[in-house]
Amino acid sequence: MGLGQLASRALLRSSRLTTATRTSHFLRTIVSTPELHNSEAAAAQSQPEPDLPKRNPVGGARIHFPNPDDAIEVFVDGYPVKIPKGMTVLQACEIAGVDIPRFCYHSRLSIAGNCRMCLVEVEKSPKPVASCAMPALPGMKIKTDTPIAKKAREGVMEFLLMNHPLDCPICDQGGECDLQDQSMAFGSDRGRFTEMKRSVVDKNLGPLVKTVMTRCIQCTRCVRFATEVAGVQDLGMLGRGSGEEIGTYVERVMESELSGNVIDICPVGALTSKPFAFKARNWELKGTESIDVTDAVGSNIRIDSRGPEVMRVLPRLNEDINEEWISDKTRFFYDGLKRQRLNDPMIRGADGRFKTVSWRDALAVVAEVMHQAKPEEIVGVAGKLSDAESMMALKDFLNKMGGLENADVFLLVGTQPRVEAAMVNARIRKTVRATKATVGYIGPAADFNYDHQHLGTGPQTLIELAEGRHPFWSALSNAKNPVIIVGAGIFERKDKDAIFSTVEAIAKNANAVRPDWNGLNVLLLNAAQTAALDLGLVPESDGSIESAKFLYLMGADDVNVEKVPDDAFVVYQAVPTVGDARDDWKIIRALSEVAGAQLPYDTLSAIRSRIRTVAPNLLHTDEREPAAFSTSSLRPEIKEKMDMAPFETAVKNFYMTDSVTRASKIMAQCSALLLKK
Amino acid sequence: MASSLQRLASHYRKAYRSAITPFSRAFSTEDALVEAKPGEVGLVSGIPEEHLRRKVLIYSPARTASQQGSGKVGKWKINFMSTQKWENPLMGWTSTGDPYAHVGDSAICFDSEEAAIAFAERHGWEYTVKKRQTPLLKVKSYADNFKWKGPPKEN
Repeated sequence: MGLGQLASRALLRSSRLTTATRTSHFLRTIVSTPELHNSEAAAAQSQPEPDLPKRNPVGGARIHFPNPDDAIEVFVDGYPVKIPKGMTVLQACEIAGVDIPRFCYHSRLSIAGNCRMCLVEVEKSPKPVASCAMPALPGMKIKTDTPIAKKAREGVMEFLLMNHPLDCPICDQGGECDLQDQSMAFGSDRGRFTEMKRSVVDKNLGPLVKTVMTRCIQCTRCVRFATEVAGVQDLGMLGRGSGEEIGTYVERVMESELSGNVIDICPVGALTSKPFAFKARNWELKGTESIDVTDAVGSNIRIDSRGPEVMRVLPRLNEDINEEWISDKTRFFYDGLKRQRLNDPMIRGADGRFKTVSWRDALAVVAEVMHQAKPEEIVGVAGKLSDAESMMALKDFLNKMGGLENADVFLLVGTQPRVEAAMVNARIRKTVRATKATVGYIGPAADFNYDHQHLGTGPQTLIELAEGRHPFWSALSNAKNPVIIVGAGIFERKDKDAIFSTVEAIAKNANAVRPDWNGLNVLLLNAAQTAALDLGLVPESDGSIESAKFLYLMGADDVNVEKVPDDAFVVYQAVPTVGDARDDWKIIRALSEVAGAQLPYDTLSAIRSRIRTVAPNLLHTDEREPAAFSTSSLRPEIKEKMDMAPFETAVKNFYMTDSVTRASKIMAQCSALLLKK
Repeated sequence: MASSLQRLASHYRKAYRSAITPFSRAFSTEDALVEAKPGEVGLVSGIPEEHLRRKVLIYSPARTASQQGSGKVGKWKINFMSTQKWENPLMGWTSTGDPYAHVGDSAICFDSEEAAIAFAERHGWEYTVKKRQTPLLKVKSYADNFKWKGPPKEN
């Protein structure tokens, strides 16, 4: 022991000597701290451990303990943390509040361990350890801030930057680039590379993702995302060594409704957004946290705007709803917000042309016509995007979306989640991949990106299931946590009540609705439909439009215009925009005053409090709520017989489902390129 | 010399105390008479009437999905929800009619939810707090890549 001490002291002295000589050198070498490349010296330094301040997990992360008994303790920079058994060293560091630099590791993808940026020092380990791939062991002493770890990062960084072009000024990722940030934080201030940089041919991944493959650092995040989450097996790694590149081997566009997410996960500027290319820099943008309205999932998003203009849409973390992904429709529909907008009130004159009028005149005309019509002749149709306080409240209808991950058998009735709610589909896919859950599907032949059993096309199969005659019934009845998802297309059928009662019978027989598990879900098509059901706006019948004299269309573009009688007076109110347009609720409020039936609220908060009395759950946007809408109360006893016609697809075109997405140029491009079969 | 300095200092202190006392009493918490009510801060600083009662949103900005760094995560901000924004017809610049528009974006930042709420209360703003979404760490392992996942499904 005494000898060891002596030796370490001697080592310390000699290292100090080298420092002294080194500082006198004129040239600075690439290794910033060679004298400290000595773990013993570092250990001697860190031995007297002072009281460490309380550290919080990175990003306020919560830790999932599958088994509380299986907790182990490791030390990160001397700070003890309790972690579940089996977690990696990198995760242990995150829990200890240390953010380890990384490129290939992504918390929602499988572990690749190929970028080596996450190297840390582990006591008694001869070499630095790739923390993302190394399981943490009890009592492990991890050191993230030692000279060895720093030198390792610096070395890795130098290799990564060797073939990375110096085009940050013309790169769209510039300013929000992990490579840029980490080279500033961990890289050396000079390189030793004097040869030519390699160059790689760009790939064509479709109308959404722009590629500059020379910038690629081969982290393979995009490959893993495509295979694991999006379910497209096309992307892969080709070649070896410096000839290595990401590609599809034969040129193919990425046919996935989630392809935009590879833009986010790419740590460099190799995959960037095509519609956003060269439009703005990220530091010019102001982010507003919001909820997506293009489907009924209610994905959490951040809308980045520059001045009054929406520049892009990015996902925002919500473990219960969309994790950190969004669908392509959500991400790229924003250009539709700027086109084909109604900025001023207009009235169609005798010559059939629309003339711009003042708000006063417009409201007066509407009120007059409204008074002439009988109450039963007045029909209001609320559209899919009917906004804010008239109907807003984009909460996810699908209760317990996170709960989908615990399901073991899915039954999809007349719904194709892949086009109706891509994020729900991603969840189902994740479950199927992770636990081999079985999926049964009733409906027209559809393209799923996971294994499923096509049980049938129409109500006949439902009846067989309800009576327990169908072969799939054994799987469903033996399931621990069965999930039945009913599509919105069902509600457009005449026999919707009969169908729904059959589905309820199946759910009851399969024990899908219990106090601890609600396995019966309705997948609606759009956020407004969700809110409308919560507010008690129930579709009366299609026939009402035919007899209408006064039709109020609030952002409703899907009404069959031929059905509207010729003598009817149609008011069309569109999604508000900049200019002389007003908020939806303000127009209705103003109209109510002109018409003499003044509504009792004139401020936003007044409307919100009114919503609170009608449907309190609508005001908690952002959070997942158990569905308050109970299907049984809305439904009278079944009158009609079930129609044996097969179910139809509810969404024909994933990219165009409402007025805004239809106005979007990008969505038009997508449907032209990606939907042709 | 030293003693004279000391005397001078004590003299000053006395003089100061006499001058300061009324103020210091006004700011002491024990005196219930002058306790600042919510919103009074704004009144004193001459803020226009319409901005005294604002609706604000207290939230913690989410991590940028496209970046790994966590340096900016965990802060709390106040969003004034200002929408009065237009493109200036002369220059094309963005104009705003809301003096608070940039205060929330770039100026104020709090370490905790409570601090942000306290600030909003002191200024008499009507606030709503948005729940912060945090990630959930689950056990992951490199060995999962090589785990046997059952027999391959035949197509």
